[in-house]
Amino acid sequence: MDVSLLVAQCMSGLSRGMMLFLIASGLSLIFGVMNILNFAHASLWLVGAYFCYSFWYLMQNHGFGMWVSIPLAALVLAAIGWVIEVVLIRRVYERELPEQLLLTYAMVLILGDLIKLTWGVEDKIIVRPTLVEGPVFFFGIPFDSYFIFVISVGFFVAIGLWWFLQKTKYGHIVRAAVFSREMVSALGIPIPRIYTGVFVLGIFIAGLAGAVQAPVGSITLGMDMAIVVQAFCVVVIGGFGSLLGTLVGSIIVGEVYAFSILFWAKGALVLIFIVTAVILIVRPWGLFGTPMRM
Amino acid sequence: MEILTKKYWWLGLVFIGALALPLVVGEFWVHVAIEILILGLFAVSFNMIFGNMGQLSFGHAAYYGVGAYATGLLLVRASVPLPICLAASMVAAGICALILGYFCVRLTGIYFAILTLAFGQLLYYIIFQWYSFTGGDDGLQGIIPPGALFSATYYYYFALFVVTGALIAMWYVNESPFGYTMRAIRENADRTRFIGINVRRYMLINFVVAGMFAGLAGGLWGPFNRSIAPDLCNWHQSGIPVFMTVIGGPLGFFGPMIGSIIYTFLMAFVTGFTEYWPLTIGLVIMFVVLFMPGGVLGLVEQKMKVFRSRDLEARGDRSAETERS
Amino acid sequence: MKMRNIRVMAIVFSLVLLGGLASLDSALAAEPYHLGVDLAITGTGALYCKDGVDAIKLAVEEINAQGGFLGKHPIKLFIRDTHTKPDVAVREAKDLILRDKVRCVLGTYSSACAVAIKPVCQEYKVLHIPAVSNSENITKINFSPYTYQVVPNSYMQAKAVVLGVAELAKKKGWNEYVTIASDYEWGRSTQQNTVNLLKQVAPGVKLKKEFWPRLGETQFTSYITAIMAEKPDFVIGSVASKDNIAWMNQAKAYGFFEKIPYPGSLISVSELIIQAKTLTRGLVGLCRAPFFAHLDIPMMANFVKNFRAKNDRYPSDWAVMEYDAVYALKQGIEKAGSIDTEKVKDAMKGMTIETSRGKLYFRQIDNQLSCSSYLGVVADDPKYPFPIYHDLIEVKGPDSWRPEDEIIAARKAEKK
Repeated sequence: MDVSLLVAQCMSGLSRGMMLFLIASGLSLIFGVMNILNFAHASLWLVGAYFCYSFWYLMQNHGFGMWVSIPLAALVLAAIGWVIEVVLIRRVYERELPEQLLLTYAMVLILGDLIKLTWGVEDKIIVRPTLVEGPVFFFGIPFDSYFIFVISVGFFVAIGLWWFLQKTKYGHIVRAAVFSREMVSALGIPIPRIYTGVFVLGIFIAGLAGAVQAPVGSITLGMDMAIVVQAFCVVVIGGFGSLLGTLVGSIIVGEVYAFSILFWAKGALVLIFIVTAVILIVRPWGLFGTPMRM
Repeated sequence: MEILTKKYWWLGLVFIGALALPLVVGEFWVHVAIEILILGLFAVSFNMIFGNMGQLSFGHAAYYGVGAYATGLLLVRASVPLPICLAASMVAAGICALILGYFCVRLTGIYFAILTLAFGQLLYYIIFQWYSFTGGDDGLQGIIPPGALFSATYYYYFALFVVTGALIAMWYVNESPFGYTMRAIRENADRTRFIGINVRRYMLINFVVAGMFAGLAGGLWGPFNRSIAPDLCNWHQSGIPVFMTVIGGPLGFFGPMIGSIIYTFLMAFVTGFTEYWPLTIGLVIMFVVLFMPGGVLGLVEQKMKVFRSRDLEARGDRSAETERS
Repeated sequence: MKMRNIRVMAIVFSLVLLGGLASLDSALAAEPYHLGVDLAITGTGALYCKDGVDAIKLAVEEINAQGGFLGKHPIKLFIRDTHTKPDVAVREAKDLILRDKVRCVLGTYSSACAVAIKPVCQEYKVLHIPAVSNSENITKINFSPYTYQVVPNSYMQAKAVVLGVAELAKKKGWNEYVTIASDYEWGRSTQQNTVNLLKQVAPGVKLKKEFWPRLGETQFTSYITAIMAEKPDFVIGSVASKDNIAWMNQAKAYGFFEKIPYPGSLISVSELIIQAKTLTRGLVGLCRAPFFAHLDIPMMANFVKNFRAKNDRYPSDWAVMEYDAVYALKQGIEKAGSIDTEKVKDAMKGMTIETSRGKLYFRQIDNQLSCSSYLGVVADDPKYPFPIYHDLIEVKGPDSWRPEDEIIAARKAEKK
């Protein structure tokens, strides 16, 4: 076994993991704080990718088109997230788990068809600017230069979220709400506003993740279905509501996928689900989650 | 007691109507009716875990899929007679439910839901990858029901017979002391534990029985569709009985079956003129969840004051449980 | 008495005559021909199928403008979505047959879907013309007399590729190769045929490793890095449509195509058009029905003109083949003189038909059309806003299909 092969797979696993981290972090945040498992998270991620494409398409004659489309798409998704929270999610906070899950599942179906209606069934491809078009070489091993960008975005999001949760007052309130809603409410802090803010933040990150994903390959219908269960696995393995857990979980899942191609090509997802099931059985709150959540 | 007779009289009419169905409608709607029966059985078995035990399983399709593959493989590879195939499906699904359920019943609430989802996906990927045995994502083709069952009408009567038998069996389970114990566990697992019931064992037994009937439904599906695929274990397939139960109403035994009639009929109807079925059903589900939480049965029961007090009590206790968690 | 009898008899007789004439009239009345389309409107195949559907609609319009089949049976189209899933394809085919009462099903995209609906069409005695799916298993085994294949099948395509690759291997001294193929029916069938045939034609060339991304894979990074680490002399790819685009884009970002020769993969006209800006020029590619290879044939020239006028783009291979499928059906109906499925099915056996790709015929043993496979070098062309194939080699059907004795042997083995 070649060292360069191991390094190559390591790096590709890392980039895959970072992609997953971007999606899963929003999911984890929303579940950790609001106890809502948002099935539609990946669908919103896909909407972000499509919006990024649309913005890029409008600006494609300018070199900076792609770079501007990414944050724009994320902002649009934040707005959509706000609308969804106010109109739909708010109604089910007091409801039972099945109704909450069904609501987000219904959103998956609706969003899927809305995407089809708006953007059609053809693949969308973003032509990358020459800066990130070709490979960079790392000790003779080629890597897709765009992934440097992806990994950077991943780290910025991770550090940004960490700073927000650990260092700002708002973040402290959010972390307190993870432990006990009632206490935070008893202190006079309006929980509904917290929820809205957290949801919008989560969807903003999802939109950013989608937009960052868009130039990687092509954007196509059904991508959300493929990735949503992987995102769930990441959140389960890492632990709901734990940022570090999500980061670790995504890297684990990414690397398992990258290496299993070499040994057991077909078994990548089987392995991931076995790991997920084992964690749920042995330690349901994940590697870094808070046991009190049970 | 008068509640039971009230239920029985319209059941009789329904059954007679069901018997007469193929004589009245074209072959296409007979196919739809067979689908209603099979998916309805699937949904009622799901409701044994959901309505009766109070837990949401988002991976019930695993047992449905296992049942479908058991019958499919036996029929195609070994030409085993269909009734034996169906029995084998129940056994295979039951064994799966026993193994997976052992772990699932240790959890409740959202963790139960996610674990069932994970197990469902695990089974899906195993069937998907095991190309040499299951045919992978090519699916299994050429599942032909033997003899006279080849014709849709005869298969309809066969399915009607099997499903009715299964429903009666599940009805007896639900109305037995075992069924009452399950409802007690749903209401308050701790209290039930305190009176000496081994809650986990009861939940596991219930889970296995539910899985077996899901396997039976899956076994019926293969020969009907002539083709099966690993997708039968997917979380989308798991979502179908959830939808049906919620539409029909989880608190009544026939809720899921009513949901199946509505869902399947709607699907057959809507797909005739648009490809945007997911949008349609998504909106329906959203509507039901937001404005009709008891489903159709809930709506009916609100009109019939006899059930009203029982319903309120059930809902009252459940919200107390949420607060405690 | 007698007079009344005669009068009654006369009235009855005239009524009967009128009734008979009336029913005769309604029998002659234009019965529409229900044509079903079971394609992947969503899912991996959606890319190719949109073109296919547009071509079918164009063909149907053209035929209906002349009154329909035989000038008196207007065609009514029913389009369903297989979602690129075999059991959904079966369910939709059944819907088409039972509810919409179609006499012929065009489609599918995924070979697994085609293999799945073949027995259903046979069971309900409905014609089946796959015009995108091309796994050899559609025609080789489990033969159905109702299925007619108008696409060069996976064996034919593999043989064409192998002939080209063997040449290159000899010239450039290649020894080891790696395959990457989508893990489903078509990918498996194509890869298997390619490997076996290459072993026959160029025994010195060794297969080093196989990679099998699943259908619907969007992230090929790990495969790209693994293949590049293997450092093979060349790579043969059989990656399915949508995935192919993602694969080629991502591989390009790693400089894959500059480092490693990648001959003979399926780069259909769809990919040429969609990836016009990003596709690496100089690749040796394979396709099934490029319109630019047959512009000298009037049927093709007209088709391209009308398709462009209606849809504002050039037709891909899939459009060409679906168009040919509808016209094959038309010629079958004309030869049979009726829309009765049994008569049409018998008429089409061994029939020679006019297609946009030339005069071709259905081989009797497997109902496979004698259509060609096309190899060429991707290059820019001033006539079109996208690259096309230059140095085009057309490998004719009869030169590349599986010999009949092998088919007979395969069917015998299968029966056991």
